[in-house]
Amino acid sequence: MKKTIFVVALSIAGFIAVWRFEPMGTSVATSAPTVTSAPSASSGADGNTTADGTAESTQFGTVQVRVTFDGSRIRDVALVQEPSSGRGVGALPQLREEALQAQSANIDTVSGATMTSEAYISSLQAALDAKGS
Amino acid sequence: MVRHVEYVMGMPISLDLRDEEDLASAVTETFTWLHEVDARFSPYKVDSEVSRYGRGLLAAADLSEELDDVLSRCAYYEDISGGAFSTQLPGHDFDPCAVVKGWAVQRAADHLHAAGARRFCLNAGGDVVTSGEPEPGRAWRVGIRHPEQPQAVCAVLASRDGTVATSATYERGAHILDGRTGQPATGLLSVTVVADDLTHADALATATFALGTDGIAWAATQPGVEVLIIDEGRRVHRSPGLTPG
Repeated sequence: MKKTIFVVALSIAGFIAVWRFEPMGTSVATSAPTVTSAPSASSGADGNTTADGTAESTQFGTVQVRVTFDGSRIRDVALVQEPSSGRGVGALPQLREEALQAQSANIDTVSGATMTSEAYISSLQAALDAKGS
Repeated sequence: MVRHVEYVMGMPISLDLRDEEDLASAVTETFTWLHEVDARFSPYKVDSEVSRYGRGLLAAADLSEELDDVLSRCAYYEDISGGAFSTQLPGHDFDPCAVVKGWAVQRAADHLHAAGARRFCLNAGGDVVTSGEPEPGRAWRVGIRHPEQPQAVCAVLASRDGTVATSATYERGAHILDGRTGQPATGLLSVTVVADDLTHADALATATFALGTDGIAWAATQPGVEVLIIDEGRRVHRSPGLTPG
């Protein structure tokens, strides 16, 4: 059983590392996880052993994993508890959606695909270039 | 103050320079560099370095430092886009234009800056580098061309020291290919990327466009950039952090 607990502890460390990952490169101060429950293990009727890791309290919420063993082999690792907010799967950067609108505005330049001279001649950019500043 | 437009590298390049100092020689050097890039890196010129490389006539040891730089950037974008961004498609000549354009124009802007220019906007076929402010206290207002109305914009972004690149096919037809399939990319009408560096903005815009609808989620996860994407359903997908002009 000692081996089991060790593997579970490693799994939790891995999950916490995932939640702490900040894709945008911003850094956050993190405090050491605190253990709020003890690990437990039970044997199922199918001969598999299920072990719940300790529930780790992180700044993003409580994380707990359940590992299923077939003998000494890991069959499955699942989340028993996951943070309801923060860096979960649903917290990937998202774009806002809105309707396409045309506007005429006071601008200095235009970003757009304007490669051919024909398109340039009739473009807003040409008008801006001709107008001068 | 200089206003200059020149057709080079197969596109109109406009410079709007607001500095009071005399920077005429820096402007001349900047456009000389762009002509040099055209001669050396155009896949449409048979004797260019890029064409010779594409035909296998240049050994690795014979590559210029610049072409080596371009090639490593091409490999990078090909890698992060899962092959959607591609410079070497079956049945097509080697074509690194999607990196060369942004890279060359960023270098041109860097040259102007090194020569003392601080307030300018360089627009190369719709890819934009801005520096400083056109007037004290306000940012450059960069309009994003409406994908279906050439005379209208669909957004205006504020930019001081920054770059804005847009990839779209509304002008030249379906010329951006999805390297994963070799077929024209579909699903998006226009992709605009805002980044610190035009090489990055331009290549990411092309890669996102090549990815089609997959590009919307992909672009959202790219660090350090902001995007504005218009899909075929005429929906706009924009980063929350984009600065309106």
